[in-house]
Amino acid sequence: MIDVFFIGLSLSSILLLVALGLAITYGAMGVINMAHGEIVMAGAYVAVLSGIWLKTSFYVALPLAFLAAAALGWIIERLVVSRLYGRLLDTLLATWGVSMLIQQAIRLEFGLTFLGIHIAGLGSGLQNVAVPPELQGVVNIAGLELNAYRGFIVLVTVVLTALTWFIMYRTSLGMKVRAIIRNPKMAAACGIDVRKVNALTFAYGSGLAGVAGVMMSGFKGVSPDLGSSMVVDGFMVVVTGGLGSLIGTIMASGLLGETNALVAVATNDILARAVIFAAVILVIVLKPEGLFSFKRR
Amino acid sequence: MTLDRRLTLCAYALFIVAIFAVPLFVDEFGLNRIAKFLVYGMLGIAIALSWGYAGILNLGQGLFFGLGAYMLAMSLKLASPTSLQQGADKPVPDFMLWNAEPGAPTDLCCINKASFLWLPFQHQSFGLVMGIALPVIVAALLGIIVFRKRIEGPFVSIITLALVLLVRLVLVDAQPVTGGFNGLTDLASLEIFGFEFDPYSKGTYWLVASILTLTLVWTRLIVETRAGLVLQAARDDQRRVRYLGFDVSLYQTFFFCVAAAISGVAGMLYVIVAQFASPTFMDLAFSVTMVVWAAVGGRASILGACVGAILINMMEAGISETEALVGAWKAIIGLVFVLTVLFLPRGLGGLLHDLIGRFASVGRDKRRVAHVPMSGAAVTETKEA
Repeated sequence: MIDVFFIGLSLSSILLLVALGLAITYGAMGVINMAHGEIVMAGAYVAVLSGIWLKTSFYVALPLAFLAAAALGWIIERLVVSRLYGRLLDTLLATWGVSMLIQQAIRLEFGLTFLGIHIAGLGSGLQNVAVPPELQGVVNIAGLELNAYRGFIVLVTVVLTALTWFIMYRTSLGMKVRAIIRNPKMAAACGIDVRKVNALTFAYGSGLAGVAGVMMSGFKGVSPDLGSSMVVDGFMVVVTGGLGSLIGTIMASGLLGETNALVAVATNDILARAVIFAAVILVIVLKPEGLFSFKRR
Repeated sequence: MTLDRRLTLCAYALFIVAIFAVPLFVDEFGLNRIAKFLVYGMLGIAIALSWGYAGILNLGQGLFFGLGAYMLAMSLKLASPTSLQQGADKPVPDFMLWNAEPGAPTDLCCINKASFLWLPFQHQSFGLVMGIALPVIVAALLGIIVFRKRIEGPFVSIITLALVLLVRLVLVDAQPVTGGFNGLTDLASLEIFGFEFDPYSKGTYWLVASILTLTLVWTRLIVETRAGLVLQAARDDQRRVRYLGFDVSLYQTFFFCVAAAISGVAGMLYVIVAQFASPTFMDLAFSVTMVVWAAVGGRASILGACVGAILINMMEAGISETEALVGAWKAIIGLVFVLTVLFLPRGLGGLLHDLIGRFASVGRDKRRVAHVPMSGAAVTETKEA
């Protein structure tokens, strides 16, 4: 029973890393970023490539992926999203186009030969990332045998969530972001550079997604469509948790991750996902503002 | 009649003449291909109706398409030789036999726990009726729940998106009844009053072309009724329409159901033309692709969305013959889509209307133009209130 709970916790952790970025961009800027999943995938590819090119360890891939994904997010924000503020559904459609573009570019580059560049060790299809030996196997904590890698995922997520909380609630930048979430026009009137803060927030959220990608590369094959289901799951979390609520996102990812793990054990993986979708539809219908949202004035 | 209206009418006439003239120039194989594109054109119409006119961005239109397709496919599956020649006097789908438990009777009623659901599909008319009825019923239930609750904007999109993925998962999971990942293949041709619609025949093309024409004209007519006007008013500002005493959810639900019916019919036609039904019809990518077609063609223009769907698919078919571009196609369409949303939010259809409008308003009273930004500002104001 406890090991099921633990699997659920590691699922929740990845969900949370993906959803945090979405929650911030959706809550703060009113942007539905469908390309978020592709940023996760880009993070996973950074892990693969840093192993091949730089011969560095898995741990180095974490900050690298954060930076690369943040840069990618920043470019997307500048080129596409920043032109669409205030047009919520259009951001959804445009970023869907961006996601198609990125996914296909990666598929052409690393799957087939597009520009004629061959990278040794990188062929078409699935890539595997070597997890450091100390993260393989199990660790004993208080008489429980827990998968070390899953533990590592939970740990990284806790650290990054704490960091996000610190930035959001203890720095002046975070205060600006929260002001924009509540009322962007009023925030701008108070002298906050909304454009700059938005770009930074978008990049930060993308960076978190990149780290989630590295985490996923450790236990899943890396392929160009790695991220397409992640963005849907991420949105389910954001909608369930309520807009612009950090606590809500944390609670919702815990809830959905655990439900997924429990139902998967009781039945199978397919039905587990189906139950999640049904639950999310119910939440939207019964409580459209989300389970844990703050009161809007 | 204004110039815009006259030209629109011409465009409709031209389009209808064009699709009926195609068999003069194309062989049977090509006709089968174009018939598929016409089916996609119907999906474009459904999207334009629900997105452009009702303001409901349905990211799960594939659900209705898939339901329609499966309903007819179940009937055609039972009529196919592979189902008839399974050693029983009544038809049994081959995939049910492949994973039947040992000792299970070779009969549709009880070969597995849920196979009795297939029994009524032995009558082809049942499959045909259900192909429209089921999508409409699902849309009506969904619409009543969602629109009564006044859920709007992205939340409707996310509900429809979650629903289509949910149904897709259940469909794949219920392999003994639905054929799972493989879907339904080896289907018979549709037969109505002794006339067999062979997918590679002119008859089938005429069928698809006439139903598309009917749908196109009929949809155009209903959006110009009073109900259609109320719907468009509600799209621009729900609250004001509600204050005027209209039950907005009723209009939204009705047109949502119409779009579902069109998609269901499109699904059935697709099964007739392509002779298979598969869970990929309910993939998220397919549903969003429909939206891409409509967006490029013009979300607020029924003909535009229809033509957009057909043209994009024709281009895709053309490009996939040039080897160097096969892989790049998806990237190209992604780029086209981003550029359309950024610079041409009303699509090609909107662009044409704008051009005609500019042409027509030369030397006319320009006061009407001055109203546009004002009403736009009013909309943003009420949305923030």
